[in-house]
Amino acid sequence: MHVLLVEDDPLVANGIVVGLKLHGLTIDHVDTASLADAALATSYFDVCILDLGLPDEDGMTLLRRWRDEGHSLPVLILTARDALNHRVEGLLGGADDYLIKPFNLDELQARLHVLTRRAAGRSTDCIHHGELKFCQSTGRVWLAGEPVALARRELSLLRALLQNSQAILSTGQLCDSVYGYEQNVESNAINVHIYHLRRKLGNNIVETVRGLGYRLGPAEKVEEQ
Amino acid sequence: MTLRLRLLLIIGVSLTALWALVATWMLVDTRLSLRDALDNRLAASARMVAGLVSQFPEPGDLVTAGNKPLDVVARDGVACEVSLLRSEVTIETVARTAGSPDLRHAATGYGTHVYGGQRWRTYVLRQGDIQIATADSIEVRETLVRELILSAGLPFVIALFGSLVVLWFGISHGLAPLERIRALLAARRSGDDSPLPEVKAPAELRPLLQTIEQLLERLQAAIVRERRFTDNAAHELRTPLTGVKTHIQVARLASQRQDEGATLEAALVNADEGVRQLQNILQRLLELARLDAESMEVESSDPVDAAQAAIEALEIVHGHVARQVRVLGVEASRPVRAARPLLVAALQNLIDNAIRYAPSTTPVIVRIEPRDDGMLGISVVDEGPGMNEKERSQAVTRFWRGNPKKPGYGLGLSIVNAIALRHGGVLELLERKGGGLEARLVLPLAEDIEALSFP
Repeated sequence: MHVLLVEDDPLVANGIVVGLKLHGLTIDHVDTASLADAALATSYFDVCILDLGLPDEDGMTLLRRWRDEGHSLPVLILTARDALNHRVEGLLGGADDYLIKPFNLDELQARLHVLTRRAAGRSTDCIHHGELKFCQSTGRVWLAGEPVALARRELSLLRALLQNSQAILSTGQLCDSVYGYEQNVESNAINVHIYHLRRKLGNNIVETVRGLGYRLGPAEKVEEQ
Repeated sequence: MTLRLRLLLIIGVSLTALWALVATWMLVDTRLSLRDALDNRLAASARMVAGLVSQFPEPGDLVTAGNKPLDVVARDGVACEVSLLRSEVTIETVARTAGSPDLRHAATGYGTHVYGGQRWRTYVLRQGDIQIATADSIEVRETLVRELILSAGLPFVIALFGSLVVLWFGISHGLAPLERIRALLAARRSGDDSPLPEVKAPAELRPLLQTIEQLLERLQAAIVRERRFTDNAAHELRTPLTGVKTHIQVARLASQRQDEGATLEAALVNADEGVRQLQNILQRLLELARLDAESMEVESSDPVDAAQAAIEALEIVHGHVARQVRVLGVEASRPVRAARPLLVAALQNLIDNAIRYAPSTTPVIVRIEPRDDGMLGISVVDEGPGMNEKERSQAVTRFWRGNPKKPGYGLGLSIVNAIALRHGGVLELLERKGGGLEARLVLPLAEDIEALSFP
């Protein structure tokens, strides 16, 4: 899951980035509204954590503008403003969830999963895809009832594919989902992760669409060799 | 009492009283006029009869014709009696109207007499040995007055009551704009910050309406200020707390994973940084609370040389910033009555703000100048972005930050302001000519404080 964090306080932002990375999420952090605009324009995000007290623009104004521009990205407002009217205003202003600082990292993570799940139109945490079962919040994967151990990047890749099961995803989109803004990503890094996924979940789990990108395929039990 | 009842009572009672007074006056006047008119009629009748009697060649013959007086039937209320004066005591009635009382012994001129249980108004005219007496029954006269009062007074009373009823409706109608305004205010929900909608109101109510509007605006502004304050306070206090909490959770997560020792270490360092920030804010809040609690008593400390304090404050700030800060007017500096650590802290805050907000290439100047009013002004002048009028009015509010991007807690100017007030001084925020801010701390001079305290 690719998360955009818009937060101006460096200490809090750093905590969220490190914490969510430990939870296996891909997260990019910006500290101003203008940078958030730029990030949204250039990459694909699954969910956004938005602080309201930004130095250059109020978070609510930014959110309303996004909604007016037609961005349907799920947004969780994370703020110190706890008054009822702020919460109501936030939710009515286009936010999908509202969490008050100080918060619990586990709860934040769970809420982010709920938001992406709902955005994808599902009501349970676990995705079933043929023989494959993938539980988002815990990051556990089963194939035909057997647990499969996947690395963090592989989980991100699988999550991106499962969440867009009908769509063809380009290498760039997959890169966004797996690495975020991380620098120094080797050009064949995604291919390496796809190779590992195919090895663990069957050769057809990732279909290559020539010239366009990749698509989710059927999951099959891999025979031990 | 309702306004309507009050108005009705005031106008109604005064109207009734005034008209009652007028009515009484008219009544008395009418009675007098009527009496005069009827008296004149009596006298005229008497003179007419006297004229007739004088035509007789010998009035004494009238009596000889018969020993009984001649009764003349008269229709209206006037009684008339013609008598012959035989001597001073013997008066013989010659002729009279039927039903006339015995008027032989009535005094000459006008008089009022009671004859046979009835009161009469009499007029007696003597002409030679002939006495002509005319009389009106007072009862008949009273009846006449009563009829007059009734015919004129009844419409008057009806008109009075009618005008009271009209008054009631008139007042109701006149008060309608008030009712409209009341309904308008009653319909407002709490927290509604829209201006009052246009309402039809007469010119007299416009000022009231304007006052209400201004009051609502002031109230709204106060609420907004209060809300902003709590929002800012919540933000400033919760942010470092959030940092601490988040990093502790990160540390816990990291401790459960392998190969995350560095992450754990970093998280603990960050949590520590959050605690330090929180500690700083609490420290400043406590300082403010202490200043507030003792703000009533003027600090009676030793005279402090303002220039010395300024230089001391500079040394503290200069410890970690290499920046050109100049102190002007050292020679003009005089002792001020202020607690030394507080004065140094105030100046340190002002210099610190100037250094943080103004570009690093511009100079910061501390200017000391005595004033005519027994005060000393210590100005910290920078060439930074300055403040507009609105910002200057808000700047001493706790947790107000000129620029959220700059580090700080929004408490510095609040503290300086509290220190100034505590010493009977004031913090002035002025616009520097050519851009920038001049923050001027004005404190009473030490030698004048006795005169200030005991005038």
